[in-house]
Amino acid sequence: MDRFVFFGGKGGVGKTTVASAYGVQCARAGQQTLLVSTDPAHSTADVFGQSFDDDPTPVEGYDGLSAMELDPDAEVDRHMREIRRAMSDQVSPAIVNELDRQIELAHRTPGAYEAALFDRFIDVMRSSDDYDRVVFDTSPTGGTLRLLALPDLLESWVDRLRQKRRESVDLFEKAAIGDSEARATLDEDPIIERLTERKETFDFAGRVLAEQATFVLVLNPDDLSIAESRRAIEELREADLSVGGLVVNKVAPAPEAGETGTGGTYLRERRQAEQARLGRIHAEFDRPVVAVLERRAGVDGTELLDALVAELDLETAVEPPVT
Amino acid sequence: MSLESRISAYLEGLEEWLHGLYHGMVEHPAHEKIEKEAEDTTDVFLFACFADAFGIPSPVSYYTAELLPYLAEEFVQWERRLWDRESLVERKGQQYHF
Repeated sequence: MDRFVFFGGKGGVGKTTVASAYGVQCARAGQQTLLVSTDPAHSTADVFGQSFDDDPTPVEGYDGLSAMELDPDAEVDRHMREIRRAMSDQVSPAIVNELDRQIELAHRTPGAYEAALFDRFIDVMRSSDDYDRVVFDTSPTGGTLRLLALPDLLESWVDRLRQKRRESVDLFEKAAIGDSEARATLDEDPIIERLTERKETFDFAGRVLAEQATFVLVLNPDDLSIAESRRAIEELREADLSVGGLVVNKVAPAPEAGETGTGGTYLRERRQAEQARLGRIHAEFDRPVVAVLERRAGVDGTELLDALVAELDLETAVEPPVT
Repeated sequence: MSLESRISAYLEGLEEWLHGLYHGMVEHPAHEKIEKEAEDTTDVFLFACFADAFGIPSPVSYYTAELLPYLAEEFVQWERRLWDRESLVERKGQQYHF
């Protein structure tokens, strides 16, 4: 498995639980592990019975395991505040009001949340040198996956902007004939500088995701979840991201042979249907099924986690990045 | 006034006049044209950055907002110009000073 492992899947399939179990497993294997939750519902807190924030905090009772919950909304606000601060340094107050509308607009568009989340992803990946393994528990929307497929697109877009800006600054330099001074120069143009910075960030993200990240899809043995996973695999493949395997969660256990009451019959039929779907998953997906986890009733939190860790058969050794 | 100083005064005047002619006929129009071109390119750049100001959603507007503090005046002028511009050719002929 790569250093960065992303758990994804439809809402409610049990991503958080599986991701947490994997985190615990890695920590027990002696790796410094960071568990990053990006789900706005933040159920990591429920799993461990401890609250987390935007900074990595050691998880009580688990050596070598830290957790954090990303807050994209806070990141959007921070981004906006920073721009406003830079603005009050640079710009006369009369113009600030005119620009405020544009800034508001840029931070209220539907993409802002995703962009902020992506920024935080990159921050975490950049500053994760203290950890051997970083486990991401992604939010259920398809948005996250699409987002991770984006760095190439964004990078080339930013690159085009930079090219255009270069062109116009170059013309401004040429227009400065005789004693007149150019309105902008290529050497010290803050715009080109910022665009270059952004381009490098996307480049970094693209490289890390392609070389050091694995995706694990969590699904349940039901038709909707299977269809969604098929789409997700397709999408990830198009983005050249590697899918390490599938975890089938919440599979109904088999009843005892002697149980013939309503409950036993129901469970037996259900078990049968799910086993058939499980067979389909094995046959139709070209990615390996790395774990099949049975549904459990009446267990919760760390108890459930311990049970799952024992069953989860995901590799924990950190592979060196493929280059 | 000696002949010598009259000649040099005459030459000085001539030089100023010639420079003016050169400036008016060559230098200034060239400067204006290039600068117009630079402004047009900047307009394209600004549009690519802030298309959402005109209702076209852009995946990079969150990132380009970071540039606003450094583009403040250009942005404000650009926005006003684009909202107010009456025709596309209007600006193209400006350097001929009809």
